[in-house]
Amino acid sequence: MTENYQSIGKGVIRKDAWEKAVGKALYTADLPVENLSYGVILRSPHHHARILEIDTSAAVRVPGVQAVITAEDIPGEKVFGPLIQDQPSLAWEVVRHLGEPVVLVIARSLKAAEQARESVKIRYQELEPVFDPLEAVQADAPQLHPDGNVVSEIHVGDGDPEIGFQEADVIVEKTFSLPRISPGYMEPEASLAVWEDDGTVTVWVSSQHPFTDQAAISAALNMPVDRVRVKGAVIGGAFGGKEDSSLAILAALGAWKIQGTVRLVNSRRESFLAHPKRHPAHIHYKLGARKDGTITAVQAEAYMDTGAYASYGPAVAMILTETMTGSYRVPHVRVDTFVVYTNSPLSGAMRGFGSPQTHFAVESALDMLAEKVELDPIQIREKNILHPGDQIFTKVTINDSALALTKCLQKGRELVEEFRAVPTPEGKLSGVGIALAAQSMGLGANVPDDSSHKLEWAPDGSVLIYLGSPDLGQGLAAAAEQITAESLGIPFDQVRSLPLDTLVTPNGNVTCASRMTYLVGNALVDASQKLIQALLKGAGRLLDIPADQLNYQNGMVLKPDGSEIPAVEFISRLAEDSITLEAESTFSFPYPEETTPQHLPIGMPHVLYCFGAQVVRVEVDPDLGTVEVTHLAAIHDVGKVINRLGVEGQIEGGVATGLGYALSETMLRKGESWVDSFTEYLLPTALDLPENYQTIILEVPETSGPYGAKGVGEIPLVPTAPAVANALYDAIQVRICDLPITPEKVLGLNKVS
Amino acid sequence: MAHHMISLLVNGQKEKLLVPSNLTLLHVLRDMLGLTGTKNGCEAGECGACTVLLDGEPVNSCMVLAPELDGREVITVEGLAKDGQLTPLQEAFAELSAVQCGYCTPGMLMSATALLRRKPHPTQQDVQEALVGNLCRCTGYQRIIDAVMVASRTGGAE
Repeated sequence: MTENYQSIGKGVIRKDAWEKAVGKALYTADLPVENLSYGVILRSPHHHARILEIDTSAAVRVPGVQAVITAEDIPGEKVFGPLIQDQPSLAWEVVRHLGEPVVLVIARSLKAAEQARESVKIRYQELEPVFDPLEAVQADAPQLHPDGNVVSEIHVGDGDPEIGFQEADVIVEKTFSLPRISPGYMEPEASLAVWEDDGTVTVWVSSQHPFTDQAAISAALNMPVDRVRVKGAVIGGAFGGKEDSSLAILAALGAWKIQGTVRLVNSRRESFLAHPKRHPAHIHYKLGARKDGTITAVQAEAYMDTGAYASYGPAVAMILTETMTGSYRVPHVRVDTFVVYTNSPLSGAMRGFGSPQTHFAVESALDMLAEKVELDPIQIREKNILHPGDQIFTKVTINDSALALTKCLQKGRELVEEFRAVPTPEGKLSGVGIALAAQSMGLGANVPDDSSHKLEWAPDGSVLIYLGSPDLGQGLAAAAEQITAESLGIPFDQVRSLPLDTLVTPNGNVTCASRMTYLVGNALVDASQKLIQALLKGAGRLLDIPADQLNYQNGMVLKPDGSEIPAVEFISRLAEDSITLEAESTFSFPYPEETTPQHLPIGMPHVLYCFGAQVVRVEVDPDLGTVEVTHLAAIHDVGKVINRLGVEGQIEGGVATGLGYALSETMLRKGESWVDSFTEYLLPTALDLPENYQTIILEVPETSGPYGAKGVGEIPLVPTAPAVANALYDAIQVRICDLPITPEKVLGLNKVS
Repeated sequence: MAHHMISLLVNGQKEKLLVPSNLTLLHVLRDMLGLTGTKNGCEAGECGACTVLLDGEPVNSCMVLAPELDGREVITVEGLAKDGQLTPLQEAFAELSAVQCGYCTPGMLMSATALLRRKPHPTQQDVQEALVGNLCRCTGYQRIIDAVMVASRTGGAE
């Protein structure tokens, strides 16, 4: 190692850890405000129904009630949505899913609000619901929207699968079914809106993209964007589920209606029913290969259940489609993906964004192929793995960072051998499985993805970051501070990120897509250079020396005679003259024209990838069908570690979420409702960890990244479920194709497809 | 709704409150006393975000009715540090990065504090069992468990 970094690569203590450890961090529900009114939402009790009449006459007479608001009270846009504006803020005419908001009640007390909510009378005419995307695409299915139930479809390929399958000696063909998964953050959605005396509205949000919320509020209230100020409170986890704007719009609407202050906080049940979840999907997967294991063709058809409204469904479909050949070279490919409306709870963005679904199919099929051609799971992967310079079926050429994939597999082979040597207790059967993963970074080609952030040198010499994208809890702020500290050559302790405020913070774009360290880091490296230039200009003026004869290093201004003066002396003197040293920089996610294929729809393809592998050992009780993950190694390339503690924490947390996807989590329909509490929705607990867990971090630099860094936010949960399924098969030769893996399925008691 | 006058000790401070029968300890803390460090995650006793110590025992404050509190002692996350001095457990949570979004942190700290007071040198299994009622989606629990183990060697919960 020739690098000699002061901040980069260290394990730093994130600055918000202290306030969080003493209970002083203020989340949206905690913010102290005066004259607070309480908002509650009357939600649809039906999956699908026509609204015949809404009678609010009794509700408005409840003492303490300030407003009873329906769709017709909304002065501007009545619908919202990140890609397609199809989701009503408050439903009118039709409700399309259980828990859909219909009436918003604002009152002086929570009790009065709840009492008034009970007094609202709505007459519904129930309509036939449809819950499965395969049924919803049938001609005689209930139609949810005027243009039919197919929201979007993608048809993409390369080569000729017919030829590919002719060349194949063996075929693997299987349908994989993926469940509805909740992001499961601990903080339910919340929003607080204050109507100001000057006719503006200030809205605190727990949101991944406050600037989208600002635009959505502006549209709904029919008021200019600059009269809507959105501020970010501390966020209690998001994982994709807080990219949609619904509660922010409703809180602002309530504040506008009563010209006061309104807070809305979802209950856990409301949160389960109303926030976006991971798309359930059926993936029909067909894989052809020669006798020696060389893959010749992949054909896949996927149906995704996006629920009643599109949310991010069409974008999720893109990554689901693009990862359909996983980490492998496939000459002949055809993928057809359909995003389908159903009366299920909303699906949208969730950590992994389509890739976990696909990887379960791809990595399971790889192991099935290996068995047919009598190779082991490592050999089949070695034979087909992508190398730098390979082109995948989207015509994207995988860059040099793909070296990491081979390194992950090599490390994986060692771990497989290590885990195989673990003795199996009597009465149990054990198995070892591996899965690789390739997760794209970024929003996709031709989607504007500019991220702006600002630095300010405070008079005391410390540096403030106006971070334009919220930290969701994952530690974005700490990484931003480290990169800034390194770029300015000052200690980490002297850099501090400020909470997001649309009035003063530049737009850093939505926090998502495994790209924040990359985007924010690149912008701040550049902003740091600009800040240094601003300092030298100011110092030059004070010293009466041309700025280009001055230099800057590690907090010191270097004069031509070799003497050094602390930068803070200039900064404080400039501050006395009311001159603030600041620098803003915008980094745009790069899609170079010469290397970015242009034949695909907007949002495709994604061009940069993160890579990883996970190796799992399970012990299975053949009588009970229980599966215990005893060993797990998560091997991930991150380009370059910024905050070691942060990266490890991301990987550990992602793996736990992956284990939930594999073994316990599903939001099943249950009679007239859905699983809507942690009683039945089984998040992994502190007792569900593998007894032997290890994180192995590889660093293959991404040359376009800040200090070589790329993303790690999503990929740690992607290979987990297929690795568990492959280990289970290794143990007892039962192939589970529908998640989660339950004892009943292991014992063959409830075959699903 | 009947109301009850209750006297209780919260973080060492005497409180006398008039509470309705159906109010939970969670709302007494958050809404009446402004102690918002205790988090509302589910109001069903499932997630553990609202864990506090009631007469030294960890309880889900969303599951305790206010009238039961008369003459009892409650410690919340705000009551752990003394005169600005964090407990070794709180320090370990920060230093080992056991905190990500932080929403589960107060509940985790309270469950772990109860464990360390009861058993100053727990095994890892003890820690996992003590935290099983506290859900976390960010960390995968590894660092939280590590932090409790480290704290048990550096002075524990006090």
